[in-house]
Amino acid sequence: MNVVVIGLSHRSAPVELRERFAFAESKIPGALKSLRDSGIAGEAVILSTCNRVEIYAATPLEPAKAFAELKIFLLRWGEISGEPSAKDNPGSRGRSPHREELYSYAEPDSLHHLFKVACGLDSMMIGETEILGQLKAAYDLALQHGHTGARLNKAFQRAFHTAKHVRTQTNIQRGSVSVASVAVELAEKIFNSLGDREVLVIGAGDTSEKTARALLSRGAKSIVVTNRSLDRAQALAGEFGGRAVPFDDWAGEFEKIDIVISSTSAPHYILDRAKLEPLMKARRQRPLLLIDIAVPRDIDPEVNFLENVYLYNVDDLRGIADDYLKLRREEIAGCEAIIAEKVKPLLAARSSADFADGRRLPFSDLRKSAQSAD
Amino acid sequence: MVWFTDRHFFLLAVALYGASAVYSVFLWRKGFRKDDHANYFLLLAAFALHTAAMVQRGFSVAHCPVNNLYEATTFVAWTIVAAYLVIGLLPRLRFLGAFASPVLLGIGVFALMPALDPPHPAGAPPEFSGALVSLHAATILLAYGAFGLGAVAAAMFLMQQHDLKFHKLRAVLSLFPPIQRLEIVAVRLVFAGFILLTVGLAAGRHLPRPTGTPYWTDPKVVWSIFLWFVYLALLVLRRLRVPSSRNLAVSLIAAFVFLLLTFWGTNLLSPLHHP
Repeated sequence: MNVVVIGLSHRSAPVELRERFAFAESKIPGALKSLRDSGIAGEAVILSTCNRVEIYAATPLEPAKAFAELKIFLLRWGEISGEPSAKDNPGSRGRSPHREELYSYAEPDSLHHLFKVACGLDSMMIGETEILGQLKAAYDLALQHGHTGARLNKAFQRAFHTAKHVRTQTNIQRGSVSVASVAVELAEKIFNSLGDREVLVIGAGDTSEKTARALLSRGAKSIVVTNRSLDRAQALAGEFGGRAVPFDDWAGEFEKIDIVISSTSAPHYILDRAKLEPLMKARRQRPLLLIDIAVPRDIDPEVNFLENVYLYNVDDLRGIADDYLKLRREEIAGCEAIIAEKVKPLLAARSSADFADGRRLPFSDLRKSAQSAD
Repeated sequence: MVWFTDRHFFLLAVALYGASAVYSVFLWRKGFRKDDHANYFLLLAAFALHTAAMVQRGFSVAHCPVNNLYEATTFVAWTIVAAYLVIGLLPRLRFLGAFASPVLLGIGVFALMPALDPPHPAGAPPEFSGALVSLHAATILLAYGAFGLGAVAAAMFLMQQHDLKFHKLRAVLSLFPPIQRLEIVAVRLVFAGFILLTVGLAAGRHLPRPTGTPYWTDPKVVWSIFLWFVYLALLVLRRLRVPSSRNLAVSLIAAFVFLLLTFWGTNLLSPLHHP
């Protein structure tokens, strides 16, 4: 049986289209059963996430025939899930059903694709690990309902193993690619532990909220929020289990806090060297990480020249995140080489199986083969 | 193998320290991004040869091998590498080796200078013999080793702090530990060294000395007490949080460089150590 894959992803189709083909988890076992009952696939796994919908199938059919049948199956499924409205996808009105957005691969490309998906190489955020969990869940679901067999079991298990190998042997998952996670990483490069660190959030913007949340999730001790609107500060502090302080009093917190995330809409610096210098004396040489994600900036860059002060603005953080992404892209070739190596035994195993199948050919065919070999 | 002496073992160890120093340049250029065991194993192999050299010398003189400047110098280097091999078991502190190996190479090459290792007179006891002398010399040299590794941790701190301050990508890409932990490691090593130095100096006070040789005005004693006060001051100031982390790191390196540059000179000037 040939392993084939058909589907659409963030690379080939917009979200309006992807959502039409999405499979609800509860409906996947039924869809898999239908695929097998129809004879299109002997084994099948359906992966349905926000970024991709894919059917992996081990099929007795010729790939071209299998793709045609699987396309019909998917398109029928897409139509079952609901017609697109003009509001959702104005550009698609009157188009024939989405044939260009569907991609399909037969062996060996199908196996390479599966491994790349498992390793996060085909993800929107290269190297992310969430897809591996989603792929495992999709496989487990198919396995539990008895829709996988020798071919897909081997292919998926090897893909999971390869994903782990790639994660440990390359830098594909190294580094943070969002402003919030870069800020957390910087904090971890400065402080011995985040467990006893207090964070001051000045101004309650979306990115500062995400950054504070990321710091809390990595173990930061507590969050203090200050905002021109005390109500907003209290609401945000309540979400974090922290406390709010009036905007005019935030400087009084500097003796205790270790990390400042600032994102006010003030048109001028709210913290400069003259203001910070005396505050640093009270901190007794403890390091202070300042994350300034406001535009225009809240913190005078001059403060970075003070001892034990580490200032990063939004461009610095984005620069690091972009560099990380660049590094991940540079790792792709190495990952693909590993994948090529890991796929080889699967293909070799299939060739052996085909050879074994050859022994079951009619005697006349075997004789023909022998004569042609002579 | 009579022709293969303890100095040959030490020479091989120094060659491995050199190889480690060269390898460290590559680690440096790569930004210390991947956990690396090669340097650790190079230093482990060097440590084995270094230990063999010291054991062979110890058996040949039937005492703790700290009887002349060659032996004292190799002991300091041995202490640094031994402490590193323990600390380097922690993956994030393993890169200390990249900073330690150039120091070890420098000390090793210096120790190999023939003038530092005059032959012990046949049949005569070594210049410094006896259990108390061994304790005195060993604890003081261990203290120097701890100060040395503390200075290495301080150098690592300075590099990482500079990278963080000036937003170098290497700061986040490297597998270095947080700068606060590096500072703690450096201070703890110096504290351990200070305790050892105190014990060593106390043991030295009770050693028999040649008649007519003054104690308190001996250059080595004056120098050692000065060094003891320098490290005491650094530890007290750090406790009081007076110097910034950067200034403290610079001071720890400066103190060790001063120790390295003056240790041999004061030894030669000391009538107590060269009766």
